[in-house]
Amino acid sequence: MPLPRKIPRRALLRQSGAGFGLLGLRGLFGAEATNPLGLKNPHFAPKAKRVIFLFMHGGPSSIDTFDPKPRLVTDNGKPVPFKRGLTFGEDAVRGLMKPLWDFKQHGQSGIPVSSLFPNVATCADDLCVLRSMVGDGVDHGAALLQLHTGVFSFKRPSMGSWMLYGLGTENQNLPGFITIKPSLGHGGQNNWSSSFLPSDYQGTAIGNSGMKVEEIAKEPVPYLISKGLPAEHQRYELDMLQNMNRKHASANDHDPELEARIGAFELAFRMQVKAPEAFEVDRESEATKKLYGMDDEVTRDFGWQCLLARRLSERGVRFVQCSHSYKWDQHSELQKLHTKNAAEVDKPIAGLLKDLKARGLLQDTLVIWGGEFGRTPWAQGNDGRDHNPYGYTMWMAGAGVKPGFVYGATDEFGYHAVENRMHLHDLHATVLHLMGLNHEKLTYPFAGRNFRLTDIAGSVAHGIIA
Amino acid sequence: MASLRSCLFLLTLPLLAQDAGLEHFEKKVRPVLAQHCYACHSGNVKMGGLDLQTGVNVSSFVVRGDPQQSRLYSAVTYGEKVKMPPSGKLGAEAIASIREWIGLGADWPNAPVTAEKKLTTNHWAFQPVRNVVPPKVKNEAWVQTNVDRFVLAKLEAQGLKPAGAVSKLALLRRVTYDLTGLPPSLEEIDAFLKDESKQAYAKVVDKLLASPRYGERWGRHWLDVARYADSTGMDEDHIYPYAWRYRDYVVNAFNADLPFNQFVQEQIAGDLMTGPERKQERTVATGFLALGPKPLAQQDRIKMIYDVVDEQIDTVSKALLGLTVSCARCHDHKFDPILTKDYYGLASIFASTQSFRNLGRPGSVSYLYNAPLDAGEYGMYQAHRWRTYSKRIELEDAAAEDATRENLLLRPKIAEYLVAAWKAQHLKKPTAALAEELGLERRLLDRWVDLAKKDADYWRTWREATEETIAAVAKNYQITYDATATKWDTQLSNWRRRYAQEVAADRDLPERPKFDGKDNSFFAATTFGGPMELTDSPRVAQLRAEYAELERTMPAEPAMASAVTDGPSIQQRIFTRGDHLNPGEPVGKQFLTVMTPKQPHDIKGSGRMELAAWLTDRSNPLTARVFVNRVWQGHFGEALVRTANNWGTTGEKPSHPELLDYLATQFVEQGWSVKALHRTILLSNAYRMSTTVAPEAKQADPSNRLLSRFPRARMSVEQIRDSFLVLDGSLDGALGGPMLPSGKMKRPKVEPDDMTRRTLYIPVRRGSIPTVLATFDYGDATTSSDGRPRTNVAPQALFMMNSKYVVEHAKGFADRLLTDESLTDSSRIDRAYLLALTRKAEPQEVDRALSYIASMAQKLGGNDARAKAWQSFCHVLMSSNEFVFLP
Repeated sequence: MPLPRKIPRRALLRQSGAGFGLLGLRGLFGAEATNPLGLKNPHFAPKAKRVIFLFMHGGPSSIDTFDPKPRLVTDNGKPVPFKRGLTFGEDAVRGLMKPLWDFKQHGQSGIPVSSLFPNVATCADDLCVLRSMVGDGVDHGAALLQLHTGVFSFKRPSMGSWMLYGLGTENQNLPGFITIKPSLGHGGQNNWSSSFLPSDYQGTAIGNSGMKVEEIAKEPVPYLISKGLPAEHQRYELDMLQNMNRKHASANDHDPELEARIGAFELAFRMQVKAPEAFEVDRESEATKKLYGMDDEVTRDFGWQCLLARRLSERGVRFVQCSHSYKWDQHSELQKLHTKNAAEVDKPIAGLLKDLKARGLLQDTLVIWGGEFGRTPWAQGNDGRDHNPYGYTMWMAGAGVKPGFVYGATDEFGYHAVENRMHLHDLHATVLHLMGLNHEKLTYPFAGRNFRLTDIAGSVAHGIIA
Repeated sequence: MASLRSCLFLLTLPLLAQDAGLEHFEKKVRPVLAQHCYACHSGNVKMGGLDLQTGVNVSSFVVRGDPQQSRLYSAVTYGEKVKMPPSGKLGAEAIASIREWIGLGADWPNAPVTAEKKLTTNHWAFQPVRNVVPPKVKNEAWVQTNVDRFVLAKLEAQGLKPAGAVSKLALLRRVTYDLTGLPPSLEEIDAFLKDESKQAYAKVVDKLLASPRYGERWGRHWLDVARYADSTGMDEDHIYPYAWRYRDYVVNAFNADLPFNQFVQEQIAGDLMTGPERKQERTVATGFLALGPKPLAQQDRIKMIYDVVDEQIDTVSKALLGLTVSCARCHDHKFDPILTKDYYGLASIFASTQSFRNLGRPGSVSYLYNAPLDAGEYGMYQAHRWRTYSKRIELEDAAAEDATRENLLLRPKIAEYLVAAWKAQHLKKPTAALAEELGLERRLLDRWVDLAKKDADYWRTWREATEETIAAVAKNYQITYDATATKWDTQLSNWRRRYAQEVAADRDLPERPKFDGKDNSFFAATTFGGPMELTDSPRVAQLRAEYAELERTMPAEPAMASAVTDGPSIQQRIFTRGDHLNPGEPVGKQFLTVMTPKQPHDIKGSGRMELAAWLTDRSNPLTARVFVNRVWQGHFGEALVRTANNWGTTGEKPSHPELLDYLATQFVEQGWSVKALHRTILLSNAYRMSTTVAPEAKQADPSNRLLSRFPRARMSVEQIRDSFLVLDGSLDGALGGPMLPSGKMKRPKVEPDDMTRRTLYIPVRRGSIPTVLATFDYGDATTSSDGRPRTNVAPQALFMMNSKYVVEHAKGFADRLLTDESLTDSSRIDRAYLLALTRKAEPQEVDRALSYIASMAQKLGGNDARAKAWQSFCHVLMSSNEFVFLP
């Protein structure tokens, strides 16, 4: 049991200053007063306990993967017949381009998946495909920021931080919000920062997209591995330190801050002993590693990420993100590079879904797949597609969402979401809802007002909830 | 910072019934109209006579209260022939919002948003600073300076006594860390202990204030307020290559005791101030405005500019006035007397100020403005650049002209040369005779023959040809060559055009395209270094030499600063609901109405000069108060107004309002001298109190708002990290300068663990704050900081236990103790305590330490057991609470 830690006085003041009693935060605050990461009661019974977000950085093309558009086949090469929104490469707009891969219906649900994802296709009956995603950012930086934090111009807490703030964490020996191999570009840390929320809710990055798995595995969490003494001697050293600290504390009225730091060292020592085990992906059976494609050079990296995500989720980490970074931005060479990208993630993703299911974890783990936007139905240059935030596909699987289900639709060209539009605010509202949190009540006072993940927007897509 | 349409307080406030429709309209309906309908139904277009921006003719399309009868509604539901918007049906939520709005009466907001409000306020922060007479106290003997009267009077009113005096060495430790961020040296400890005079402490204060380390410590406080960082933070997190000059400016300003009013003026309008002295410094100072987070890749450039303007307003108002003016971007401030009109009055000033040099090509990023520090030198540099680029354009054009002419002659003959070369090789005919016979140039033919000797894939068809087929084969080679040549020519000429355009627009210049050999290796081999390669004509050769010479003699880029400059003066309009696509009433450049009895009217230029004067006017009730509050916060850990960046009605009231006003008055009267302000505070008895106090005082004053004792504070990350450098003697004490490698590296790596410069100099990328800083509450350098939280969490303990940095410096500290031959082991322990904790070790502490070292050495064994055991002991001292918490 971690010792009580003082919350920063200023945060407390911000809360009381803004009329804390009115904010429905009392429940949250009651727990926070002792340990900001302690378990907190959700607003209502949750469907999901944890989230795994598989982020396809760069923006995979929906119309080549999960949203077939026959009209594009018939109109292939014809000039763009509708008004185009703000796009990135205005000077390279060409005619409509048909999907470059064949679609087939899969499973009992008959959900169409293109030949890019043969393994994920075998999980079609577990997917809840959201074909009507909408965001506001046309460039990667803005789009990533909004996907992760809800706003696209300013720095705000990441969705993982909000969840941790709202629910606490189930495993005090591990960070509660982990992002594996994130990209340092397009906002970098802003995408997993706690911003104005207390830093306890900060995401912990496991390496970054530029690092190799072997390099990361050496020390997955900063400063987790002792650089000096072997563990038994380090404990002896720690005993000396704590001895001094306790004497100092008793000479200083047992100031809670001093006590808190003594507790922090004990917790750190426990983490150091217990946490590395969670990262030891190699301890998995060969069969499991194979299931995730770790036996193949092509799928090894993302397979490792997915398998690590499962290990962390299993141990109670609230929010885990895997990043396939930054791969999917095919302004050109769509055929070649989407093929390569999909090959790197297809098997690991299917492996993750199957493994979670087999272990009974899928029923309370929400898996989310998607990029920061989709890609245009017209060609950019000869063989590329531009950014399209106006209508694209993400999918979910697991806890609380309808399996084998397609929600929303884009227009016949796959450009605008036209049916059951799901703005990123709505996505956030829905994910929080699945976690048992009311997005309008999960607020934090900062700079004179109350902030939410969904800002002033967002509605829960009840249509997808099982 | 306020997000665009969202600085709305989220509590459900009671709304008047008739307002509900308008509120709903602005929140839910207007954004839909703006996004989906304005393109055809506003401004000059107004299809069907319908203007959905101003509401003109809306009444003909709606039946108030009855959506089903409204044509607007049937259009958006795709119910009848007219289906709007044609690009695709609106989402269910948007349609529901429109239905609800019509149902509520389809009210259109006619009232101009700038409606004059009568602004009066009795909120304390807006009242003038009072010239307060220090109160009388019972215990006169306790009073060292007037500050003590205010503190003691409060305590006495509660029947409390202040804490006793802190010990002499603890005071030295406190004040040395406070003013320099570093521990006192052995010499300083010795000198202070020996000095029995009454002025001993005052002398220490003076000495510390005179140390350049003072500016590094207190400059850092200001850099937090100024949300200083070395990169833009958004999208690709672009480097601010000259940010360090602003950092050094701040450090120097504190060291030189630059009057605070001048410090403010220079940061707001230094580039506009006249006079020869401090000209460069003044330009650098505007980095305060220039170094905020910026979304350079934002394609909506107007939005980008106004997001930057908003960021500047937010920083200026929080840092200097302690107000959240940004909240008024979309509507009048919900809690404070700040109008949207005030916001756009300030926006007008910053929108008339340039932060960008160039808005870039569509699809790419915008360019930041950087100011040259020496106009003359910069002029020469620019002139040289222009000459070089112009020469390159001339060179490329001339070469292209030659090439066109030559190629016209050469290219059609490729097939002929291939046939001839084939004959030379296969029929062993001499090239001279062949050339003669076929009317070709012999020299050229020789080159073809040479190339054909190469064992390359592209020769295969040629090589396998027979006398019958060679003509046709050669023709095929000619055809593929021609196709590639045409593409390549176009690629080059596109590049030349683009290059000239970018030179003219002063943007990044495109690289000359390189031919991808894989595309057509025959073309590549013949054209680059092969028979089809053209030699420079004398004219081209001359130009090439001139260009090379210009490149060679290109001077290094002269000194630049991240700064702002005046742009064209903007006639600002109020953006309805903060939406720049929805401009409303015009507004002049102006300041906060509630604090400005007479608004300026004849502002020329951006108005930053006037803003600087307004901010530092003696009658401004906030600037001096807000700053003295920060200084108090720096010394005591907690400020008098604890919400240091929010002095509005949702902020906290001051714990000692009279003291605050007294300090502000003194500050201005002493010529805004920051060092004088430090002395006023530091020489007080309040500053010299112990951190422990009688239980009854602690009970009556649990959160120490009455200042019954000195607050214990965990060191900042700078204090911790810099101390370790001092302990093992590795600190590189150089002042200022650039730390990032120059050049255009995207993400230059700087490893803080390996740096021996002070922590202040670690470059900070907003997109990847160094782990050591992030671990210790550094913040995100994105908004003006009101002080760092001081958490005590496990990741910090892990840093102390396991980081290479701490382990290595513990080793360095131990080595330093062990290599001093004049010491015995027990005096080494004494020395370690003095250096690390600024106190002598108790005898039993020495014993304990020695026995710990002995038994650790025994556990470890081996040759270096003793050294490692000492290292472990040093590690313990450096990780201890006594070390990290200042007394």
